Amino acid sequence: MNKVSSRRFLAVFAVVVLLVGTLAGAGFAEEKVIKIGTLFPLTGPVATAGQRCRAAVETAVEVINNSYPNMNIPLAAQEGILGGHKIVLVHADHQGKPDIGKAEAERLFNQEKVYAIIGSYNSAVTKPASFVAEMQKKIFMCGCSSSAALTERGFKYFFRMAPTDKTESHEFVEFMKWMNETRGSDFKTVGIIYENTEFGKHAADEGKAAAKDAGFEVVADVPFSPGATSMNSEVQTLKAADPDVVFGACLGGDYTLWVRTMKELNWLPKAALNYCTGYQDPMITRQLGDDANYFSGGMGYAPQFAHLMPDVAPVEAIYKEKTTPSVPFDSDSIQEAVAMFILAQAIEKAGTLDYDTVAKTLHENVWDSPLSLGGKVEFAPDGQNIRARSFLTQLQDGEYTIIYPEEFMQAEPVVPMVPWDKR
Amino acid sequence: MKRKIERKDWLLFALIILFALLPAIPGIRENSLTMHVILMIFLMASMSQSWNIVGGYCGQVSFGHSVFFGIGAYGAAMAVVKYGMTPWPGALAGAFLAAGIAVLISWPVFRLSGHYFAIATFAIVEIFNRLFMVWYWVGGAIGLDYSITEQGIVNFVWYQSKVGYYYGALVLLGLVFGVVRWIERHRIGYYLRAVREGQETAEALGVDSTKAKLSAMAVSAFLAALCGAFFAQYNYRVDPPMVMSLDMSMKFVLVTILGGTGTLFGPLVGAAVLVPLQEYSRAFLGGLGGGVDLIIFGLLIILVVVKQPKGVVGIFSYLRRRMVERESVGKEND
Repeated sequence: MNKVSSRRFLAVFAVVVLLVGTLAGAGFAEEKVIKIGTLFPLTGPVATAGQRCRAAVETAVEVINNSYPNMNIPLAAQEGILGGHKIVLVHADHQGKPDIGKAEAERLFNQEKVYAIIGSYNSAVTKPASFVAEMQKKIFMCGCSSSAALTERGFKYFFRMAPTDKTESHEFVEFMKWMNETRGSDFKTVGIIYENTEFGKHAADEGKAAAKDAGFEVVADVPFSPGATSMNSEVQTLKAADPDVVFGACLGGDYTLWVRTMKELNWLPKAALNYCTGYQDPMITRQLGDDANYFSGGMGYAPQFAHLMPDVAPVEAIYKEKTTPSVPFDSDSIQEAVAMFILAQAIEKAGTLDYDTVAKTLHENVWDSPLSLGGKVEFAPDGQNIRARSFLTQLQDGEYTIIYPEEFMQAEPVVPMVPWDKR
Repeated sequence: MKRKIERKDWLLFALIILFALLPAIPGIRENSLTMHVILMIFLMASMSQSWNIVGGYCGQVSFGHSVFFGIGAYGAAMAVVKYGMTPWPGALAGAFLAAGIAVLISWPVFRLSGHYFAIATFAIVEIFNRLFMVWYWVGGAIGLDYSITEQGIVNFVWYQSKVGYYYGALVLLGLVFGVVRWIERHRIGYYLRAVREGQETAEALGVDSTKAKLSAMAVSAFLAALCGAFFAQYNYRVDPPMVMSLDMSMKFVLVTILGGTGTLFGPLVGAAVLVPLQEYSRAFLGGLGGGVDLIIFGLLIILVVVKQPKGVVGIFSYLRRRMVERESVGKEND
């Protein structure tokens, strides 16, 4: 008796499961969705940055999927794209490791069947992950990986929003020349300090090339291992060479350590110009307090740019809700949101999900992008956004203040930097 | 002297034939996650089996195997990226170089024993990592990236399908396990185990322990380098943190310890437990962020190591012993 009833129970249970499964499956199939994968370092040494990038893409999707008629952002007023298709995100974590990034990109495409991938923050991971996409003739949207090499591969389905380290190096040098001409700064020598990784090495190479081309002498080339516990000897090397300007590529905690060590050793160059690194992180700036002041760096976005980019604020309000602790967009994460918006706009304009058509549409149009400095996005045949811009800012009283180009200048650059003992 | 084919050999043959037939199962698509997981099991099993020669049979716990793995990876990648050749000569050159370097390094390091030996091998990984980071001839910190070449066995790259990689990994598995099985049955295998059980005793019985250990290291490094070459080909890229890191060295050790050190099937069992755990937990939980996958992964390893230090193979033999005991008790009762 007991056996029979349990068997009957099992049979009923199986039927119920099957029915529910089929119904749920049918319901899911009817709903119009486009799956997009995100691939960021959600764990590992740059997890915070990766999580912010993921939140930025989620923010963009929130705006695209729902109707926000008051936002002056493309696709905000309507719900979804391609006649009501909603975007569904599938998140993946590459831990900052290229091999995992490659495996996850394959899984996203082959298993999760995502339409495109947005990622991957670390240039070293973006390389193999976008290779997978290119081989499958699928689209890879890259927000903020800055290695110039990424868009020198001749890929057809790869698009990058942010300026490269080459563009930034060029901007640094232009600033130096301008300071010499107009402010009599007498910059002659350059020192470079960088983390010895794909990102840092690339940035340093571009920085050296740009400085030499402009006739500046590179007197110090100082690599260090990321996650260093002491940067004493690195700063000593800089101090001994005493360059007028230092180009810095120190991420996260390394940036804090670098600044603190310079204070300890009581040395500063006349100007310190930073690539997209710890300098741009508002949390790190807050931690460093007054010590962070008078350092400079290129930025594609800061809350202080609000007057130039008035449409960012309502989107940023959503982003703030998605981050813990709540932070405004930074130059990196905002580019990932741009990547999502531009992809959605291209799909909408192409009117199809066909990869070649969407890629062609991306290449052939100039896109409205209120979240980008300059308001436009346009891709060169290599996939680089040629409208990508950044301004040189300097931290003055804890605020990112635009010091170059001149027409956008918010305050006079403080050069040379105020010495440690006079702060 | 003719040797009998034992049950172990049959099992190994059967497994390899079974694996060879796996891709024919319709459910396993040629580029699926399952395919990736299985071939990662093969790779990881081969890596830890190569480590097992030194770490398991010979009892010398080395944390330096990622160096040899890395040299193999760089061998293949240099041939492809720098010289535009097929990876084969590079992989082979890398393997011989790794064996040579292993002997050179081990000569002084084998004078140390126990913990000191392990610490020295730790240091070697760091030295090589730093060296490769600033050695620009091999790409330095930027690493070496493959460009798109013709697919197939000649270039050993496939872009759309994983079947080529799958059989590549299976051949590697067969080779490494075959070599270890041969060592296990050969005189050298007995020497190695004798050294593990007590170096002084072994020497007193006429075993040249230095020679035994060095040859084990050379073979082990050679095989690890071949695994590294496969890894570079599979990921189309190599840079120092990817291959020459303590992280990678730990994988060699962890998989073997989990499966069972000094046993033929330990590395395969260890990889068959660890790799799916790692890959699937990342696939299903990694997107949540916060490393939930890594936490679960860590907890399971702690559980296995605490409950059965002899590894999963230890659990099997424990169960078998229990069954045999029960049978014999049953017979006595009859």
